[in-house]
Amino acid sequence: MGFGRYVTARVLWAGVVSLIITTITFLLLSAAPNPDVQRAATQAALQGGDPAEAVERARELRGLDEPLYVRYFDFVQGVYTLDWGWSSSRSQPVIEAVGNALYYTAQYSIPWTILTVILGPLVGVYSAANMYSWRDHAATGFAFFGYAIPNFFFGIILLLIFGVWLEVIPIVYNTDVAVFSVENAIQLAIPVFVLVTGSIGAVMRVSRNESAEFQNADFMKTAKAKGVSPLRAYAYHVMRPTLVPLSTTLVGQLLALFLGSSLLVEVVFGIPGLGRLTFEALLSQDTNLVLGTTLFFTFVAVVGNLIEDLVFTVLDPRISYDDR
Amino acid sequence: MATEGSERFDQVDWSDLSRSGRFDLSINSIGMLLTTLPLALLAVYDTQFIGDRTPTFEFIGLDRTFEAVDFFFIFTLFLAFWYLVLPLYQNPRMTRYYWKEFRRNRPAVVSMVWLGIVFVGGIIGPLVMSAPQQELLVAYQPPVFTSVVESTPATCVGEVMNGRCHGTWEYPLGTTNAGRDVFTMIVYGMTISMQIAFITTTIVATIGITFGTLSAYSGGWVDEIMMRFVDIILSFPTFLMFLLILYIYGGGLGMFIVVFSLFAWGGTARYVRSKSLSISEEEFIKASRISGASTYQVIRGHVVPNVASSIITQLTLLIPGFLLFEAQLAFLGVGDSTVPSWGQLISAGRSDLSYAPWIVLAPGIVLFLTILAFNFLGDALLDALNPEAEAESE
Repeated sequence: MGFGRYVTARVLWAGVVSLIITTITFLLLSAAPNPDVQRAATQAALQGGDPAEAVERARELRGLDEPLYVRYFDFVQGVYTLDWGWSSSRSQPVIEAVGNALYYTAQYSIPWTILTVILGPLVGVYSAANMYSWRDHAATGFAFFGYAIPNFFFGIILLLIFGVWLEVIPIVYNTDVAVFSVENAIQLAIPVFVLVTGSIGAVMRVSRNESAEFQNADFMKTAKAKGVSPLRAYAYHVMRPTLVPLSTTLVGQLLALFLGSSLLVEVVFGIPGLGRLTFEALLSQDTNLVLGTTLFFTFVAVVGNLIEDLVFTVLDPRISYDDR
Repeated sequence: MATEGSERFDQVDWSDLSRSGRFDLSINSIGMLLTTLPLALLAVYDTQFIGDRTPTFEFIGLDRTFEAVDFFFIFTLFLAFWYLVLPLYQNPRMTRYYWKEFRRNRPAVVSMVWLGIVFVGGIIGPLVMSAPQQELLVAYQPPVFTSVVESTPATCVGEVMNGRCHGTWEYPLGTTNAGRDVFTMIVYGMTISMQIAFITTTIVATIGITFGTLSAYSGGWVDEIMMRFVDIILSFPTFLMFLLILYIYGGGLGMFIVVFSLFAWGGTARYVRSKSLSISEEEFIKASRISGASTYQVIRGHVVPNVASSIITQLTLLIPGFLLFEAQLAFLGVGDSTVPSWGQLISAGRSDLSYAPWIVLAPGIVLFLTILAFNFLGDALLDALNPEAEAESE
């Protein structure tokens, strides 16, 4: 299989996966009683009306009385044309609410991703170069610490220390400050730090173990014998081959953290981003919004996995397209 | 476990080995059956014959009720005893070898001790300690050796010196806003954590190993379809899907365990498949095939035991993720608030954080140490069970 065909097949497969997940979501929703309909029934009963009639009307209003396959095609069409419905709790289209929230999520996600991607391999390679020194042990200890401490717990503790006791950061996120201002940097510093400690550990461990393999390779000995400076030798001959296997774990790691922990971190620090939007939609029983945010995260995961696979095949020519 | 080939060749009882009929039960299976039977009867009795609100053990005068999760937990404990602990005792030579390899990794030994404490505490704790009761009078007691401003606790149980209330051994880790003993709640949380660890591991291992070996031995398009299915499972955002399921259906600890383990076996299945493909190329498999072993016997006798040792490592590294997810859900307040898990305790103490930080700190640190211990243990098992993997784990 050629590269072009592999990419096509992989992209098509990502489309299939997203369709399957959308279908499962639809089935989950249609198998359960709709909270909106139940609310209508309760309201009718409270106002002395006929609950059954109210249910009938509510179902008709939402198109629930149509056959399953018609609703399914409508649903799928809506999802892929980005017509995700109206959010009743926020009184705006779901897609707009997601867009607004994304603005805040991006403000801490971008610095966090950049820091992890840059610092992780650097510290890992440094630690491999000084293997079994106290610096290496310190880095390893930090990696395990960051990996094992629950992000939300770490966030609460830091908020307690810096927000409540030392009063250097605001306890509740302030949305009024400009994006590129000192205030914003200060209030985002702790969330970014928490997320970086959570994600950097795995990156450091992988890059340390991978580069340990390369630093005694023949090409490194040749480079040293020729008198190449250690910095240059490590930058060109160790870092580069290390990045290839790293790229596979990196995307998966970041995605896992983005999907799970960012929600918690946003709730802890009160950032009105995507995670918090999902959470508030759940609390206010806003079905369309719950669905919209869930699907958004799902599509991010599918696209992330796709990019990971493609990047890996581009970077590592040894991988054959048939065997993945 | 790799139990095959551990005896010395001249001591092998060949007549014992040649009895390899499919229905000959080993002592492990007999023990498993004997212990599972009463449990199954008890489960049937609990679900069919007594009301939902009647405690399971009312017939012997105990006010203790068993949920489905408890039954399954005991079942997995039996499973672990008969097929993990007993084989280790039956093969002392291999056990000594594993222990020698394992002992070299000191953090892992410490981790094992810690997990042992959590395990024993989780099993015995709820039996000997009564469930924490609400006592508003003793709310916000500080942990022993520490002190808080006198006005924080409702009434100070310990002594008051210079306007500060000191903690007592009666409440070694302090009390919550409702006067519940934090230490007792942590011990009860150990049970929940162990239930999550054991049950999810069993489900993931069962599905993963079955699916992986089936896929490897079917080959062709069946294999292709099964592996694409694994792809879907792997790219499923389980945490969000679970939130969605909670939103639509609601659900407790049982639902959590089922959903998370049903979406976590993808990696295991993929791993088992590649491993059994490479094992089935080995000489000893060919030899047993020539001697007339059926596919079932080959899989059961050679492939699964050889895969199992590396699976154990992978499963150990999966458990901390589950514990973390449970704590996160509990913290968000969407978990089952009647389950006394560590996450529930953390979320309960969050609003009192600035003046009663022990309510959050104690369970948080226990959770952190447990996750850390599972990670260290997984790393060490990788080295001890899989010498050829040559993991560069210091």
